[in-house]
Amino acid sequence: MDSNAQLTHNLMRELEETRRQLYEAREIIEAIRTGQVDALVVQNGSIHELYTLKTADHAYRVFIEKMTEGALTLSPNGIILYANSRFSDMIGLPLSTIIGLPFEQFIAENDRPFYRKLFKLSWKGDAKGEVDIFYKHHRTPVQLSLTALELAEGTSLSIIITDLTLQKATQRKLEENNRQLEHLNHTLEDSNHDLQQFASVASHDLQEPLRKIQIFSNLLRIKSADNLTNDEIAYLEKIIGSADRMKSLIIEILNYSRLSADDSEFLPTDLNLVLKELLEDFELLIADKKAKVLNYGLPVLEVNRGQIRQVFQNLISNALKFSKNDMPPVIEIRSKWLADKSFTSSEQETGPFCLLTISDNGIGFDEKYATIVFSLFQRLHPKDSFEGTGIGLAITKKIIEKHHGLIQVKSAVGVGTQFMIILPLKQIANGQSS
Amino acid sequence: MVSPHKIPKKILLAEDDPDDRGFFFEFLEHRHDVLLLPPVENGEEVFEFLEKAKNGNFPDLIILDQNMPKCNGLQTLAILKNHSHYENIPVFVYSTYTDDYLKQRSIQLGARSVLEKPLSLEGYEKMIDAILELI
Repeated sequence: MDSNAQLTHNLMRELEETRRQLYEAREIIEAIRTGQVDALVVQNGSIHELYTLKTADHAYRVFIEKMTEGALTLSPNGIILYANSRFSDMIGLPLSTIIGLPFEQFIAENDRPFYRKLFKLSWKGDAKGEVDIFYKHHRTPVQLSLTALELAEGTSLSIIITDLTLQKATQRKLEENNRQLEHLNHTLEDSNHDLQQFASVASHDLQEPLRKIQIFSNLLRIKSADNLTNDEIAYLEKIIGSADRMKSLIIEILNYSRLSADDSEFLPTDLNLVLKELLEDFELLIADKKAKVLNYGLPVLEVNRGQIRQVFQNLISNALKFSKNDMPPVIEIRSKWLADKSFTSSEQETGPFCLLTISDNGIGFDEKYATIVFSLFQRLHPKDSFEGTGIGLAITKKIIEKHHGLIQVKSAVGVGTQFMIILPLKQIANGQSS
Repeated sequence: MVSPHKIPKKILLAEDDPDDRGFFFEFLEHRHDVLLLPPVENGEEVFEFLEKAKNGNFPDLIILDQNMPKCNGLQTLAILKNHSHYENIPVFVYSTYTDDYLKQRSIQLGARSVLEKPLSLEGYEKMIDAILELI
């Protein structure tokens, strides 16, 4: 009886234990069903076993399915264990037929040795490389990014496949653009060479016949003056005048084109001396116009002396030329140091830049022409009222640019004109010091 | 400058342009201080002339046009100045267009001066006056 009672008692305890376990199991199933649990740890004898749930990486699976890259998992011998649908799109095969195939068969034949190297490398660490995926006459350039994964089920290789079709197209376009640029560069070099050729032609071959026109018209005027009517003499004067004008045009075009040749030599130069010398050349014209040229002090700057002289010459001769008939011209030349290469810069004692201003009280011009006056052959006045070639200010601007400076002009009709020039104190990269 | 008792200076002109040769003679023949030797047309002919020249027509000075076929002014100048018989003859280079390069190079090679071709009778007179001053 004792043993029966004992047995019943044991069975009851066992039943109780089983009920408790069943209850726990139900609780767990409920927790799993409602998504409260990602993983289970179960004590099995002396070891703990970890069970992860398929639902836990559901988000990642969706993510991988939807991403724009192809994604694969390969077995250690290169068989496709998993592929996302982007990869199936890439090669144009349904997912069901891809699983179980060796990935290598989708690699273009000439890229296979490289792929094998990548594959081998990737087990030791992340590897990346570009290959072509090729299937059914369809070739796609891709980047492979291989990462070995240690998973509970064993080792596998994950591959992310980035389609490079667009990138390659962009690259090709870029290369094509580069080629075109190179071609343009050659054309530019050629036309630069042509310009130099033109300069040499202009210097002699154009001037020789022109000189003949000048000298023979001069001869005609002297020798036949008595036999010519006033009209005929006037025609002859026009021929001589036009020929003289053409001569100065050719000379100025030559001066302009010679500025293109990079032969600037910048040396510290006292601009006061440059101006003084120049004013001696203008002596007659200044006296004739009863002009006053006032120099309030110029600095010593690193410049090409001949070119800067040309700048002063062009600006001062303009100021004398475009003066008012009823008022003697007054030309004022000033300078101040600047902190920056800008017309709005603040003053700075012996700053790295210098602002030169050359202002006159002449006829001025409408401010709307302030930029175009620097263009080649740009004139604001008819040839018969003011002589000139329309090259002077273009040369001036080019010289200032060669000196890494800035030039601008302000003007008002009937008030006067002011040229402002910014030049650096020192020329950087002065490779041609003598 | 014109002094009849002085021996006129013999000038050899190297000039390929017939008009320019003509101007020289037309404008300068009346002068008693210069004697124009028969002109030559390029540098090569300068040497042919000098080789055949006797005392009577050996030039006191040479005027070279820069822009000539075969042997231009600078080339002719360089050969003249490297020739023991001719190196002492004063040489003038003249051209329609005288740029800095022509000026510098000519003086470097030993020319007495570089001149721009005149545009008138007075221009020619002045040019010759200047040349006679310099020799």
